[in-house]
Amino acid sequence: MTISGLGPHGERAAPPERVALLPEDRAAAKARAFRVAVVLHTLESDWARQQLSGIVGVLGDCGTAVTHVIDCGFSPSRQVAALDGLLAQKPDAVISLPVANQEVALAHARLAEAGIKLILLDNAPTGLLPGTHYGTLVSADNFGLGLIAAEGLSPHLPQGSAVGLLGYGADFFATNEREIAFSQWMQTRRPDVTICQDAFANIEEAAPKTAAMLAAHPDLAGLFVVWDTPALQAADIVRRHAKPLPMATVDLGEDAAIGLAQGAPFAVIAAQQPYLQGVAAAQTTILTLLGRLTPAWIALPGITVTRENVVESFQRIWRSPAPQAMLKAVGLIF
Amino acid sequence: MAQDLTEISGLARGKGRPRVAETAAPSLVDLLNLIRADDPTTRHELERKSELGRAVVSDRLAMLADLGLIDESELGTATGGRAPRLVRLAAKQGRMLVATLDQSALGVGVADLSGQLLTEHHEAFELTAPPQALAERLTTLLRWSLDRQASPAGLWGISLSVPGTVPGSAGDFLTRTPPVLPAWEGFPLVERLTRSFAAPVWMRSSVDTMTMGELHGGAGQGIGSMLFVKVGRRIGAGIVSDGRLFRGAQGATGLIGALPVHLGDRTGTLDAMAGSDMILREGRLAADSGRSAFLADHLRRGGEITAIDVAQAAQMGDAACVEILTTSGRLIGQVVATLTNTLNPEVIVLSGAIMQTNDIILAAVREAVYGASHPLVTRDLRIIRSQMGSSAGLVGAARAGAELLFAPGFLKDWVMQGSPLKHQGFAAFLAGLDVAPPAPAITPPPSRGAL
Repeated sequence: MTISGLGPHGERAAPPERVALLPEDRAAAKARAFRVAVVLHTLESDWARQQLSGIVGVLGDCGTAVTHVIDCGFSPSRQVAALDGLLAQKPDAVISLPVANQEVALAHARLAEAGIKLILLDNAPTGLLPGTHYGTLVSADNFGLGLIAAEGLSPHLPQGSAVGLLGYGADFFATNEREIAFSQWMQTRRPDVTICQDAFANIEEAAPKTAAMLAAHPDLAGLFVVWDTPALQAADIVRRHAKPLPMATVDLGEDAAIGLAQGAPFAVIAAQQPYLQGVAAAQTTILTLLGRLTPAWIALPGITVTRENVVESFQRIWRSPAPQAMLKAVGLIF
Repeated sequence: MAQDLTEISGLARGKGRPRVAETAAPSLVDLLNLIRADDPTTRHELERKSELGRAVVSDRLAMLADLGLIDESELGTATGGRAPRLVRLAAKQGRMLVATLDQSALGVGVADLSGQLLTEHHEAFELTAPPQALAERLTTLLRWSLDRQASPAGLWGISLSVPGTVPGSAGDFLTRTPPVLPAWEGFPLVERLTRSFAAPVWMRSSVDTMTMGELHGGAGQGIGSMLFVKVGRRIGAGIVSDGRLFRGAQGATGLIGALPVHLGDRTGTLDAMAGSDMILREGRLAADSGRSAFLADHLRRGGEITAIDVAQAAQMGDAACVEILTTSGRLIGQVVATLTNTLNPEVIVLSGAIMQTNDIILAAVREAVYGASHPLVTRDLRIIRSQMGSSAGLVGAARAGAELLFAPGFLKDWVMQGSPLKHQGFAAFLAGLDVAPPAPAITPPPSRGAL
């Protein structure tokens, strides 16, 4: 396993194997009948559904009830209200994906003060420490995902061309890492390429930001958007652009994967493994509740997905058959 | 809107009377540091602690408010009469950039003027790279971080944590790059950062900043005496006494890695016998000889062994790697035991990337310290592992930056102007550098610059 990035506090990554459960762990967890709440940024994406599936399945194996599944709709205020509401419910643990940095830090810290174990997904607000406020952060190697996107897009960029980078305006560990890594790779490996950078504050802004970027830089030769849902919005604009514009993004959502299979506009997707990440988060939660030592940061490597391996990657990541449109696009059915 | 009070004071003074700047500056410095030390406080408390009269305190607070350095907009809790107005440092008025330069990683962050870290990022970077590459990467990341955390008053300073002793104890900003690393000899890192960001630069050793970070943001909070030990390629110690970092005459305290230790018939420095280079070397030998099945398998799969891999293998139960880490821990423990008997700390905090991986070194250090220390010294002693990781260096650099920014000797020369950027000595230094570009944008630009 190669992990390129460092954790939110500069930690070296631990592999998910570090939190494998033994039969006696499952038995001990069953005997104590834990209650766990899950607080996610959204429940609307394929990534979130797969992550939740991994979490719920493993916790079920361990006799642990998932009592709350909360959709924060990317809203810091909604997340703060949700976490404060959970204080009264007193779950044994909360698995949370903090949707922002400073705005949600104190609400997460209040869980720790109330004796509720906290496992974080994808983001650790500045000031929260492992072992003090939360047990473990479980995430993809987001730095590595940015490198995959840059490396995959590079062959499509002519010498001396410009590439667009559409980042996320929120101060969010995962997307910050992808953005920084993409730029770092381009600057060190393709110094001839100029990076045109902008950020969207919410998903609805992705399309107008893309349109504005293309208007300002009509000669753009490629575009990286930091995850697939806004990338799909950007793709709608890109398809109407005068000339083809290869795109790269993160997360192999179904629509983006079909776009990749069709050869346009997506040239490469850096895929996370959301189901396995959910499994690792649930295993970490059980070990934390049992008082076992868990690492500060567990990272899962990203997967490079191109048109050539999109079908097997889809099956591998989603554990389900590829959609008919994808199979047709790559010529596996007629 | 902050005003430069030197101009106002010059106009208002009468014939023969001293300038307000000359008389007010010392009390402004005292009051501002009392506010920083006890944030938030009240006018009544400030009168009591400063031993200044009510009228003087009121006048000076009005001046500080006009300068934009304090905020009195919030009310405290009433204890009988009217609720007192709280006096706070206007911490969000400016920003500080902070960075940690470790042997194999770079960390950057943005802090407010109280030294609170607002955001951070860490990435792998070999410090053996040419200083030009380091300066470029550091500048790029600092610029990106600053764009993310814009402030109306802009950037007030840059505080760096570096892997070596920074000579001198004066609080003045740097005007040349100290030769912390051999590769930096003659390379103007400080000058380049000052020119790029138009802000003063300070530097502290990584052991100093990590100790301060642990003291203010980690296990040392509320602790009077602490011994901080960083385990890496080099092993160093930070000493906290009476709640303050002890820096010695030359800023060169805690160089315990240079002490000789013995293992069987072998003698060497603690750095060489117990540091991460030893862990890596012994790990490779264990992999090559097959003693470590875990590392041998790692090699077969084309992996390259690092000291962290050895530590992770130990955590997975690999006997050879457990032995390597235990040896390191016992040797470190021998030295730490001596320091413990000398200093009688309340808590010993062990830190470093290897320490984060598992508790094997921690256990060995505990065994050695408890076995070799006076019972009085160990009666209430806690020996723990830092939970802050590399954030300790950033948090500490932010705290050190805030202390240096508001150090009386420096503050007295800029407080009347309301910003350290207007400090005469700094302005002259900046003007003396080669073509100084305009200060970086402090409001988020519509299209952000590339990283």
